[in-house]
Amino acid sequence: MTRARWQNLLHDLGACLVVFVFLFPILWWVLASFKPYSAIFVPQPVFVDFAATTANYDVTILGQSRTAQALEQGGQVGGTAGGGSSYYSIPSILDSLVVAVLSTALCLVLATLAAYALSRLRFAGKDHYVFWVLSQRMMPPIAVAIPFFFIFRDLGLRDTHLGLVIAHALVNLPLAVLLMKSFMDDVPKEVDEAAMIDGATRLQSFARVVLPMVRGGLAATAVLCFIFSWTEFLVSLQLTTSIRTIPVKISTFVTSTGTEWGFITALGSAAMVPAFIFILLVQRHLVRGLTLGSMKD
Amino acid sequence: MSVADSARSSAPADLARQPVRRFLARVLVSDHPFPWLFPATAMILAFGIYPLVYSIWLSLHEWNRFTRSFSFVGGEQWAKALTDPRMWHALGVTTTYTVVCLAVELALGLGIALLLDRDRRGYGVLRGLMTLPLVVPPAVTGLMFLLMLDGQFGVLTYYGVMLGILERAQPLLGHTSFALFGVMLADVWQWTPFMVLIFLAGLRALPKDPFEAAAIDGANAFQIFWRLTVPMLGRVAAVAILIRAIDLFRIYDYVYVMTGGGPGTATEVLSFYAGRIFTTGNFSYAATISLITLVVLIVVANLFIRLFRVRF
Repeated sequence: MTRARWQNLLHDLGACLVVFVFLFPILWWVLASFKPYSAIFVPQPVFVDFAATTANYDVTILGQSRTAQALEQGGQVGGTAGGGSSYYSIPSILDSLVVAVLSTALCLVLATLAAYALSRLRFAGKDHYVFWVLSQRMMPPIAVAIPFFFIFRDLGLRDTHLGLVIAHALVNLPLAVLLMKSFMDDVPKEVDEAAMIDGATRLQSFARVVLPMVRGGLAATAVLCFIFSWTEFLVSLQLTTSIRTIPVKISTFVTSTGTEWGFITALGSAAMVPAFIFILLVQRHLVRGLTLGSMKD
Repeated sequence: MSVADSARSSAPADLARQPVRRFLARVLVSDHPFPWLFPATAMILAFGIYPLVYSIWLSLHEWNRFTRSFSFVGGEQWAKALTDPRMWHALGVTTTYTVVCLAVELALGLGIALLLDRDRRGYGVLRGLMTLPLVVPPAVTGLMFLLMLDGQFGVLTYYGVMLGILERAQPLLGHTSFALFGVMLADVWQWTPFMVLIFLAGLRALPKDPFEAAAIDGANAFQIFWRLTVPMLGRVAAVAILIRAIDLFRIYDYVYVMTGGGPGTATEVLSFYAGRIFTTGNFSYAATISLITLVVLIVVANLFIRLFRVRF
């Protein structure tokens, strides 16, 4: 009895320790965003013994000019000199939001339709089609970016939200199709067959029967698409110049005169919040869907 | 009069509408996959296949600086790539990176999934927190580890020096032989949670009976793990390996942010090498290197799917 209790305690401690190890980089990162520069650039790590400041958020999120901030505090804030306005990141957050939401919507519509056919209809070459869709993910991102660069220039889609929406939807499509197929496979075929025997058309049985039953799966797929678009870097970097998604914006904080760690950590922390809220909301469905149907039969 | 009028005028319209209606009716009850697959297929064809064809076209041509036009050179770019020692070096680095990360992420992922697969209070919260690294943009992950591994003020460097693993004079990311491990660290941190999620889903779906039977027959925990859990998770692991391997082989962000391929070419992976050539303006050669990555992936993925009978 006592031995089992000790074992349980040990198990709990081990689990907490592992999770803590994986959370540590994020904790350290968020901590750094509230630190004054003097507390970041010290050989000995500082955990609690610093004067917390929101200066980094004031500049990146509230758009306070950095010069004004330096004057206000009567001293130096940053390590390197530079303009203030280019660190204001709300436009970037909006760009990211627009691109992520629209590309997720586009990707979900296409993937759900295709997944329905792959899950419910019989046709020759289904496995080949699935592999072909999956193979779209095998192209190195740079190899997608190179031709997109030229094609989008010819179509006038370069540096537009629409162009980035299309590119991100395409990158997400393979995983979204596989995920949605596995969620639809989970719905027993008898359910929508019964609906069709009762006189519903295929479209009706899809829209009124199957779709409501995969709501959770749809949400989980949406979140994955959203996160991939939200965090995607290379394609956005190549295809845009004035539109800047958050990861691209952050990369501009690494300048030739120095790395703006304070602003990077602040914007990085702010960028994680929406994505993390979404992933927590659908975690239950995500866990089921990620096996991609490989647990059946 | 008016009734006849309306009848006369509506009759031809009905006739004209009938084929449309019949066609619509046929589509609505049809079992043909075409209408369902068309949008996704069209999207992939328009924006996925066209870039592929474009890349192949680029790889068969060369940009001429003087005539300012592309001229056909046949397999010249390919011959150049296949005899390029830097390409082979990059392929080697990419393979090492993929295999090591995959092995570590699989082992850690399974271990942590087993650790967190409890119904006791608080484990749901731990599982939720474990997914947090997945939402960090890879570019930010790179910067995170860059900050923590910094030779002067990095927190990991500090503890590494304290434990005698690292030396302050020789930062991990600046070391020719060990820089790749620094990049792998970021990858393992970010993607082990993905494996944990997949294995948790797999563990949850395992049937209970074989485990009870084994326990009754007096099997110990070790035997149960190796003879039951591991083989039964095989199919889940196969899908996870496939998806992860594809993404690992195309790794770009961490290298770009953390080392820029350096020191020297120590961490130069294939897609980063292609990117580097791309920025010098040699689009044809960059496309060729990218296509080599694609070909390797398609061949290996196909072999893997056949060998392990992966089904989606």
